Amino acid sequence: MTLHSSRSDSRADLVHGTLDMLILRTLQWGPQHGYAIGQTIRAQSSDVLQVEAGSLYPALQRLAKKGWVTAKWGQTDANQRAKFYRLTPEGKKQLVREESRWTELVNAIAQVMKPAAPAEE
Amino acid sequence: MRIVSWLERRRLDDDDFRDEIRAHLAIAAQERMADGADPKSAQLAALKEFGNVALTTEAARRVWVPAWLEALRDYASDARYAVRVLAKSPAFALAVIAVLTLGIGLNAAVFTMLKSMALTPLAGIERSSQLGVVVNETEKGRKVGLSYHDYQYVRDHDRAFSGLAAAAVAAVNLGRGRSARPIYAELVSGNYFQVLGVRAARGRTLLPSDEIAPGRHPFAVITEGFWRRDFGADPDVVGRTIEINNYRLTVVGVADSTFHGTIVGYDDEVFVPLMMAPQLGINLGSLQNGRPSDLLADRGAGVLDVLGHLRPGVSFANAGAQIAALSATLSRDAALTDTAQRLKVIRIWQSPYGGQTFLLPALTVLGAMGLLVLTIACANIAGLVLVRGVSRRGEIAVRLALGATRARIVRLLVLENLVLAAPGALLGVLLAWRGIPILTGAADALAAPQRLFFNIQIDRLVIAFSALVACGSALVFGFVPALRSSRIDLVSAINEDSSPRGAARGRLRAGLVVAQVAVSLLLLVGAGLVTRSLEAARQVNPGFDASHVTAVALDVRANGYSEARGRVFFRHLLDAARADSRVESATLASTTPLNLIGTREQQVAIDGYTPRRDEDLGFPVNTIGPDYFRTLRIGLAAGRAFDDRDGEGGAPVVVVNDTLAAKFFGGAAQAIGRRIRVGTGEWRTVIGVAADVKYSQIDEAPQPYVYLPFFQAYRSSMTLHTRGAAPVDVLVDQARARIAALDPELPLIHAKPLAQETRGATIILEFMSFMLFVFGAAGMALAGLGLYGLVSYTVKERTHEIGIRMALGASGRSVVRDFLVRGVRLGAVGAALGGVAALGTSRVLASVLFGVSATDAVSFARALAIVLGGVVAATLVPAWRASRTSPLSALRHQ
Repeated sequence: MTLHSSRSDSRADLVHGTLDMLILRTLQWGPQHGYAIGQTIRAQSSDVLQVEAGSLYPALQRLAKKGWVTAKWGQTDANQRAKFYRLTPEGKKQLVREESRWTELVNAIAQVMKPAAPAEE
Repeated sequence: MRIVSWLERRRLDDDDFRDEIRAHLAIAAQERMADGADPKSAQLAALKEFGNVALTTEAARRVWVPAWLEALRDYASDARYAVRVLAKSPAFALAVIAVLTLGIGLNAAVFTMLKSMALTPLAGIERSSQLGVVVNETEKGRKVGLSYHDYQYVRDHDRAFSGLAAAAVAAVNLGRGRSARPIYAELVSGNYFQVLGVRAARGRTLLPSDEIAPGRHPFAVITEGFWRRDFGADPDVVGRTIEINNYRLTVVGVADSTFHGTIVGYDDEVFVPLMMAPQLGINLGSLQNGRPSDLLADRGAGVLDVLGHLRPGVSFANAGAQIAALSATLSRDAALTDTAQRLKVIRIWQSPYGGQTFLLPALTVLGAMGLLVLTIACANIAGLVLVRGVSRRGEIAVRLALGATRARIVRLLVLENLVLAAPGALLGVLLAWRGIPILTGAADALAAPQRLFFNIQIDRLVIAFSALVACGSALVFGFVPALRSSRIDLVSAINEDSSPRGAARGRLRAGLVVAQVAVSLLLLVGAGLVTRSLEAARQVNPGFDASHVTAVALDVRANGYSEARGRVFFRHLLDAARADSRVESATLASTTPLNLIGTREQQVAIDGYTPRRDEDLGFPVNTIGPDYFRTLRIGLAAGRAFDDRDGEGGAPVVVVNDTLAAKFFGGAAQAIGRRIRVGTGEWRTVIGVAADVKYSQIDEAPQPYVYLPFFQAYRSSMTLHTRGAAPVDVLVDQARARIAALDPELPLIHAKPLAQETRGATIILEFMSFMLFVFGAAGMALAGLGLYGLVSYTVKERTHEIGIRMALGASGRSVVRDFLVRGVRLGAVGAALGGVAALGTSRVLASVLFGVSATDAVSFARALAIVLGGVVAATLVPAWRASRTSPLSALRHQ
């Protein structure tokens, strides 16, 4: 029984979209493996955003399917085998799009939350 | 190969993904160990942090699954759920499936028959529905065939057809003497097989070289069925001989196994060159001057079915125009004296030959009735679904509360209905598949010993049609109730508040009751009208008495008799029959009454009567022996019947019927002594006026009719009628023996009771009234059940209210009255709507009605009484039960 498909859910789309953007952003500085991507997002958000593996890996597959990242096996500095994800040119363009969309959204929400000083009596 | 590799690329690489997760865990553990944790706890912590590996893999896998496949999986899971839910209420599921099976089965059967007539009328011929038939339209608008002369002219001058073949079906005698068997043979033109594209399975087909000179082509092609039955599938059949009407023909080939000739409904077993018609003594009722004419020479013998495929790119309208132009030049080049030629191009199903002529109107009516039954079934199921929707409010409310959208709920409920409809469709097709042979079997039995063939197959088209009907009905009966069920007030539903809420649901239910009553009324009016027609047809006095009378048809030319020998033979036959004390009377006739086909008309001149311009004085003529009226118990209005005085040497005499006497002589008595002339023969004195008889059909209007004395107007093909007190089968056997005693070599065309011959006239009405009775009974049973269910559910829903009312002092009787008024009011609205619809549509029925008008008050009153009676019964029982419940238990029910 599937009560509701998350595919058509707009809230889920928002979350997906944001995670995708964070991953793309993380990869901007160079190829990284899955674990490192999660750690980077966590560190850069001062431990606020904790990306679960259950969301991260499907997201990476999604990005790979869309052609925004490519994956290749390689060695970590600690000589561990790992799969490294690299941003494609298409992925870079997507990141720019997502960032501008994100800025727009944040600004809009900010305007709602802190109205520009209505004339108070 | 490429698709497989494409699919490989388009899905998650499971091994690779497992490796990736393993690497992830290893790195995470390593980092923890770097922070000083021991390997074991580091590994555990990494695993714990990662979460559910299986779920993650599943989520990653789903990324690669296309959306439509996902939706399909959703639907499949919904369908699985629907099956489980329905399995929990098997009574409901079975009831719906049974109702649908009946509705879809009836429609599939009718559709199959209609399809066989219109889309694939002839087996064994490519695109047989696209065949064009060239017919001659008479001034009265009747379509008749072409004469051989006209066929040749059209064939040689036409440019619209790829080729034109000619055929005529004849009932002939196969074999000789007692073992003889009547079969249908087709007389065909030489190009017949080539034009139709029918190949020979063995030997050769007939060829254009088989149409050179009359009597010179003693060959026959047989069907595979005939080859198996009569030759035991002999591989060396080519070169063997068969005897048709005592004439030897050499079998030159066996036609393709699927081929059964070109006349819808007939199983034509033998194909003989048209050129052999005179030798086989076949004239198909064509007469010249009261004598059988030569089919090949008589331009008035319009008996050929002329057909062929249109040339590529030629439309029917175009072909019609070309043929019409051709008929204009034909009339100019070689004008027929009496009638103008108006040639037309029609399709097979419009052809004047074959079973479709009477089956199509009947099937159209049956199809309409089948749709009505299905409508009732749908309304019925809608009611059930609605009621179930109410009892499933709790479940639906929980789903909605968990976040399911309304669309999702509707989808689930509609899918549930589709799951119900699918077995209905399957069983319906099965019903049609098993039922049609029963119907055609009944038709076969009626036609025996001649064989029928209908090109009936349950094919993809029928299955697609049934599936479409099933889906359509599932949507009709499931969608609106599902929409209603999905609109639920969550709070009240979850609080198990089952009090009736929403006038909308009540309105829908009332609408269903009204619809069912209306459609049932429509159906019952139809069934009633046809039943009354049959009653009327049975009560009609055909004007003669067929019981204890034989009909033994023979043609002495089949044994090479000249006219002189024939006269002697028939004289001896009558004398021998009369000499037998068991025979009350014996006579001869060229035409039997109520023969369905009609008799060829001949031009009649009446002494002292000047026809108006364009007045058609063509009347049917029957040649009869002495004692004819006594044998068939036809009354004489004036004068005398033919007797032994009216022989070759006697004065020329004639007997006319009442209608002719009244119309042209001003009455029966006045007609005696006046004179008429048949064709170009001599003037004859009217010596008797016979009562009117139903000559070809039970529902025909009175028409003028002429009787000629056999010994003054000899014909070789006659029917012997004998009347006696013995059982008619014994009489038939005696007649056979008598003929065999006179000439053992003489074949009989057929020998049977006259009553069996005349039965054809009421067969269609009988068939229709039987089918409509089945449809009507099915529809009524469905509607009755549906009404009962709906009304009793309404009552049950109001148990609480009834309890309160009775606790407040209302009597049981007032409660019953209340429900009854409500039910009858709904019934009356439905009946009014149904009555109006019936008045509007009964014109469709007019084509199959007899003796009753399409607005027959008795049929309407009967239907109304049954429907309203049903409504009252369906209301009364549950209402009475409700009034008996004690107020306490009714209130506690809450």
